[in-house]
Amino acid sequence: MIFARAPATPLSRSQLAWLAALVVLTQLPLWLQLPPWIAVTGSGLVVARLLLPADRLPPAHLRRWLLPVLALAVAIGIRSSFGYFLARDPCVAFLYALVGIKFLEATSPRDGGLLVCLSLFLALTQFFYGQTIAAAALTFPAVLVLGGALAALRDTPSGTSDWKAPLAATARMLVEGIPLAALLFILFPRLAGPLWGTPTDAGARSGLSDRMAPGTISELSLSDSVAFRVDFIGPPPPPAQRYWRGPVLSRFDGLEWSARPQPRIGVFAPRRGRAIEYTVTLEPHNRLWLFALEHPASLPRPAVDEILLSAAPARPLAVLTYDEQLLAAGPVTQTLRYTQRSTLGDRFAAAGEEERADNLQLPRNNPRTLAFARDLRSRVASDRAFIAELLAWFHDEAFVYTLAPPPLEGDTVDAFLFDTRRGFCEHYASAFVVMLRAAGIPARVVTGYQGGEINPNGDYMIVRNSDAHAWSEALFDGTWLRFDPTAAVAPSRIERGLGAALPLGEPVPYLARLDMTWLKNLRLHWDAVNYQWQRGIVGFNIERQRDLWRDLGLEGVRGWLIVALAAGVLTVWGAAFLWFGHWLVHRRDPVVAIWARLCRRLARAGLPRRSDEGPLAYAQRAATRWPQWKEPLRKIGETYAMLRYGPIAGTRGELISALRASVASLPEVRTLRGLV
Amino acid sequence: MSSALQPSAPSAQSWARRWRQRLWRIAPADRGPVVLRHRRIYILPTRRGLALLATLATMLLTSMNYALSLGYALTFLVAGLVASALLQTFRNLAGIAASPVAAGEAFAGGEVTFTLSLANAGAARRGIVVMPGSGRSVTVDLPAGATRQVQVTIIAARRGRVALGRVTLSTDFPLGLWRGWAYVHFPLAGIAYPTPEAPPPQLPVGLDGFDVRRSARVADAELAGLRDYHPGDPLNRIAWKAVARGAGWYTKQFEGTGGSGTLELHWAELPPTLDTEARLSRLSAWILTSEREARAFSLALPGTNLPVGSGTGHRRAALTALALFPAERAP
Repeated sequence: MIFARAPATPLSRSQLAWLAALVVLTQLPLWLQLPPWIAVTGSGLVVARLLLPADRLPPAHLRRWLLPVLALAVAIGIRSSFGYFLARDPCVAFLYALVGIKFLEATSPRDGGLLVCLSLFLALTQFFYGQTIAAAALTFPAVLVLGGALAALRDTPSGTSDWKAPLAATARMLVEGIPLAALLFILFPRLAGPLWGTPTDAGARSGLSDRMAPGTISELSLSDSVAFRVDFIGPPPPPAQRYWRGPVLSRFDGLEWSARPQPRIGVFAPRRGRAIEYTVTLEPHNRLWLFALEHPASLPRPAVDEILLSAAPARPLAVLTYDEQLLAAGPVTQTLRYTQRSTLGDRFAAAGEEERADNLQLPRNNPRTLAFARDLRSRVASDRAFIAELLAWFHDEAFVYTLAPPPLEGDTVDAFLFDTRRGFCEHYASAFVVMLRAAGIPARVVTGYQGGEINPNGDYMIVRNSDAHAWSEALFDGTWLRFDPTAAVAPSRIERGLGAALPLGEPVPYLARLDMTWLKNLRLHWDAVNYQWQRGIVGFNIERQRDLWRDLGLEGVRGWLIVALAAGVLTVWGAAFLWFGHWLVHRRDPVVAIWARLCRRLARAGLPRRSDEGPLAYAQRAATRWPQWKEPLRKIGETYAMLRYGPIAGTRGELISALRASVASLPEVRTLRGLV
Repeated sequence: MSSALQPSAPSAQSWARRWRQRLWRIAPADRGPVVLRHRRIYILPTRRGLALLATLATMLLTSMNYALSLGYALTFLVAGLVASALLQTFRNLAGIAASPVAAGEAFAGGEVTFTLSLANAGAARRGIVVMPGSGRSVTVDLPAGATRQVQVTIIAARRGRVALGRVTLSTDFPLGLWRGWAYVHFPLAGIAYPTPEAPPPQLPVGLDGFDVRRSARVADAELAGLRDYHPGDPLNRIAWKAVARGAGWYTKQFEGTGGSGTLELHWAELPPTLDTEARLSRLSAWILTSEREARAFSLALPGTNLPVGSGTGHRRAALTALALFPAERAP
């Protein structure tokens, strides 16, 4: 039996309590992520088992069937609830329920060990749904209880029900293990991409999409979540120029705008205007776009925090399309940091003539809009005058900028322009582009973010999903020009943000509002902490690891050397702690120290102690060697043996001073050596 | 020590033997207190430890695939805990000084008790399992600086010396993820005496050809009753009257014979129908009875003669002589 088996005794009440605590602690962070019936079932089974008295468990043959039958039932339920099974989220849900079922039928410490392993894995799955500071903080008690549960499972069932000691012991072990964990975290090679295929449902998709219908962006604007953060080199641009270009939508089916499926690769047109350089920390959004201020003047490159070290040019992270989107090779599934250069401006040279045709396509519906646009165009002299008329019309007519526009049906653009006249930026951008196209001017919708808030704590800009925006571009004489019809309706949206533009009483996300300064301050402080967390811990990916290795002078080091380094670290770590433990124990025992000193002394005098020799035998041998010092030597041996092994006669302190005195009465080493 | 004193180039065989001894401690070569150090201590994961390591490997793969930084962090944190538990398991065992104390005695078929002493010079140890080669294991806790005597038992299958054999000291403290163990092999041996014949046969008192000098005294003794006849009972003690009546075979039992008389137990005068082990069993039973009745006895075995004596030491010497009596050669 090389690998020791777990004992086959029934689970005691205290072992069960430890396991229950572990299971609930690992299930807890998932409660909000799972369908309610799964959350209730998985945790309800744990409570059910705890409520059952120990002697009223179902009989063994029933319990044997319990696990497979319940597991099958839950699996079927999950399949019908999710509509599929072999994907990440249903599997997490299944594991969650399985832990509960296993707890219900666990009878032996062996089941307990399995339960510990399952729970540990379950504790990992919460990070699929968010790697926040809170999630990390919730994990610590779970790991502590994991140690406690393992200790309880090891203990005999009759063991003490003291719950503090195992937690304290686990905490001490964690303190010992954390240096190793930190080194592994830093040194373990990170991968550039996933191991097996792209995790299709990795992380909920948040943020902008490649489709836009009425309501898409206003829905997004209700979210306070961070889209990306920006560190500017130099002063940030003024609010009115903070157009963060994202998906460009040039296809319209009458209801919904969508992006071109296979965009062509573009080239950078020569630009005029102020160049600005900055670093973006993009939250994973599971899409291809990287955001840049209009208009990008370079391809995004991995951010290097220490600029002097950026010797080798890094590979760009994305390509530029002909409509000036920055597209990464794969979905952004982890926090991405990139440096980017832009030239601030509202125009750029079009790639070619074929763009004209692509951006004139228009479905036949919305007849009132088409008629209105054509009529207006026929009454003005030029295209530019037509656009000026349109913007003035938006400004003068009773249009309302609101987050809660009434629902639209049928010809949605018609209904919006002529009936409801209440809309959010996507309504204005969409209607504006439709009218331009109707008048024969090539135009398209551009989505992205407009604005951003400077966080004074840390001096960086936060762009939230509530800053999502849609505007339009029109092609004149081979140049794309930006027009923002929302600015015509609600100019303060562009200048001062969403909170300033919306009428009172609208459900604005509270961070977008302008009042409530102390609360907002608090939130900004918290965001600064979160930013560092995201950058340092969660965003510690292959790029940042390479930076770190470069800083440590490990650049170009081969993989096996890293492994050797890790092995060395492990050895040094183990040796250090063993030595420390040894020292802790022996430093306090003066008896051992005195004896060791004596042994060294006698060894120098020519009489080393044999390894199998006890104190009495050694003292005896020394006494025969130096009969003059027979009495103190005998006394030393006896006192030491009594202190270490014996029943102690008298107090320990007296014996120790007696031992010291006897040792002190021995002569110098030189004398002893001479006496032989 | 100079190299000249060492044996010249050891052969491959002795080299292998030395390593086997060092690894498995096959021979009882440990003397005095053995302090468990890294040279003796082995550590491997338990099954639970293996399961947890497998879980950690899966977690690592998941973290890699989904690029979960906190997944890495959790995996490495628990890995640190597991590694620390390894050190704790080692510490729990290292530094314990084991020494042999005493070996017990028993009759064949019974349990021989061995006493070992475990001295702990360091911090408190918990859950040290002491397991002899065969027999039950014992679990002890050793408080800081304490010395504990541990008694383990081995069932003696047959008479003769019973070696303690190789003892395994092991522990899976603190988390049950690692099992550390060390072998100690002391030349400690107890003794198993021949199983006394049951029920105890009548003492060979005052029998013709056994102890003629006291036959008269036996005749004076009171008849206490009859018991079932055992083959080998003296002829003059058989209740012939009962036999004649056809009531079956009984042997007369007398009372009041105890106390002062001296017994002479002779191997040669046992019924020749008995084989060696049966003779030893009978002698063993007689020795016990005579001790119970506080009578002195002498023992004559082929090759061994114990003079008349009494008391625990004498009894032990006599029983030991029986225990170590050479076994009958197989024909």
